Amino acid sequence: MNRRTVIVLSLATFLLHAWPMLRWLSTLDQEPVTFAVYSPSAPADKDPPHMAGEFISHDPGLGMVHVGSICEMSDGGLVACWYGGTREGARDTAIYLAVRAPGESMSWGKPRVIVSRESASKELHRFVKKVGNSVIFGDSEDRLWLIYVTITVGGWSGSSLNAKISHDGGITWTASQRLTLSPFLNVSELVRNNPLPLRGGGFLIPIYHECLGKFPETLWIRTGQGDQRITFRKTRMAGGRSFIQPSVVACGPHVAKAFYRSCSDDKLIGMAATGDTGATWPEPQNLELPNPDSALNALLLSKGRILLAFNDSKQARANLRLAISYDSGANWRRIAEIENTPGQEFSYPYMIRSLDGRIHLVYTWRRKRIKHVVFNENWINAQIEKASK
Amino acid sequence: MITFAFSFFFPFLLVMVAGQSIVGLFRKNVGGWRTTLGLGFLSALIVVIPLGGLPLARWLISINANFSISLTALVFGKVWENAAGIRLLDRKAFLSSSIFGLTAGLALYPMALGLGRLDPYEFGWSFSWLFVLLMVIIVILLFTKNRFGIVLVACILGYDLQLLESPNLWDYLVDPFFALISGVILGGWLIRGVRSMRNHGHSECRTPL
Repeated sequence: MNRRTVIVLSLATFLLHAWPMLRWLSTLDQEPVTFAVYSPSAPADKDPPHMAGEFISHDPGLGMVHVGSICEMSDGGLVACWYGGTREGARDTAIYLAVRAPGESMSWGKPRVIVSRESASKELHRFVKKVGNSVIFGDSEDRLWLIYVTITVGGWSGSSLNAKISHDGGITWTASQRLTLSPFLNVSELVRNNPLPLRGGGFLIPIYHECLGKFPETLWIRTGQGDQRITFRKTRMAGGRSFIQPSVVACGPHVAKAFYRSCSDDKLIGMAATGDTGATWPEPQNLELPNPDSALNALLLSKGRILLAFNDSKQARANLRLAISYDSGANWRRIAEIENTPGQEFSYPYMIRSLDGRIHLVYTWRRKRIKHVVFNENWINAQIEKASK
Repeated sequence: MITFAFSFFFPFLLVMVAGQSIVGLFRKNVGGWRTTLGLGFLSALIVVIPLGGLPLARWLISINANFSISLTALVFGKVWENAAGIRLLDRKAFLSSSIFGLTAGLALYPMALGLGRLDPYEFGWSFSWLFVLLMVIIVILLFTKNRFGIVLVACILGYDLQLLESPNLWDYLVDPFFALISGVILGGWLIRGVRSMRNHGHSECRTPL
């Protein structure tokens, strides 16, 4: 290399670094990220306590179904998805979607496959051995998002995340986009719980890493205005091997609480709070609530109360209970039992609150069905009263 | 589109190197424009051949979609050396690349896989001290006339063009295979160096006064 080449290459280096620097500088004058907090209003007294349940997946002969999620569409209809196949991790596992049209009397439509290993392989232009966990959610532009797991090699530790979007309520979907989230062959990234919408667009999605380490992370994801391309980045919530599957509840524009599934011998639910919109999280602290190494889900209610759906045991997933906290998750009161049958499994709860104020809970029912339970806050209040007697 | 097209480049280079090695078993000279053109055409054909519904190249991408620009440049250097007889990366550059690959791998992978709370991978999503550090390293390498500096310029160029599926700078600099190969190369040099020193020491002892 002569001197001229060195100078030209050095100048090129500065210019090539200028592009990412300019992009970064252009983000500095944007408003700081805040949670688009939905503060639920207190229920009207005239609403009677209401609670009902029905199955979403109609085919118990499928083998097994697991990891349900649900969201509300702009017309008030509901859409749910989950994965099912002959067994967990089998090659015939596919992601199913079912829709319930708006209206009190409507029931869930017939589930249909929206992602199979063949379709994922075709869209991602690579080998896909099986598909797994998925989460469905809507955005302010009336689009549905699906984040889902694919595995190329090995078991769950070989998972990678992918995203696709529907503009027509889940009838058609864009091709899947692979999300590169880990530098080590992009493996061991999984999704489970509800995303938090951010003001100005985009989502904070709680995800987790499950390989040599087991720890919770946050995925920041968005598309540009009218842009099909999904942009994303990832930050870490905690290290170690103790907590995964965070469920995050926004309690203010910058404040949120995260509740974690326990992988440690303590078998207690973990909790942490952020005060900077999820940029940093302290080390999780154990709550007094047990956890049998199983998913849990939290939801914000009126008056700042937090509702938790969880397996109330250190050993098994045989029960599914609700607990409520009046002090942002520090103390909990068990209020209702949704399921309890020894030897059976009721797991992976996922809750949303629809615009009519009702709370929709979906969960895995004996690994054979996805069950949808709907109740209102007055039913919760009635359960609180009953529990305190 | 550019990302998808570029994903065929690394598998193409691998097949090309393998082809040159096979030709080398039968002929002393694997270079020459005819051989190179023939091998290039054959390699391109092999990587796009569909197998089980996927082009052969995409099977490799299924395992790792982000072969770093550094590793790609090293393999390209080998292909070029075989074809034209010109070493793009001299011994100094090769040693620098190995030190860089191993150091970057050790700095990134243990922590990214959960060792500790800090995740250095976070610094690659957008402009950060990682970019500044890279710029300083490149300028130092260029002013010391180390050709590995050119490889790192190619890395930041690849990042700006988003040639890889990953939007993270780290993936343009290092990948697990590059880190592993760097470790093996440095380990080999270290062992040879120790042996050579030992032999040198023995011969000194045996020298009669």
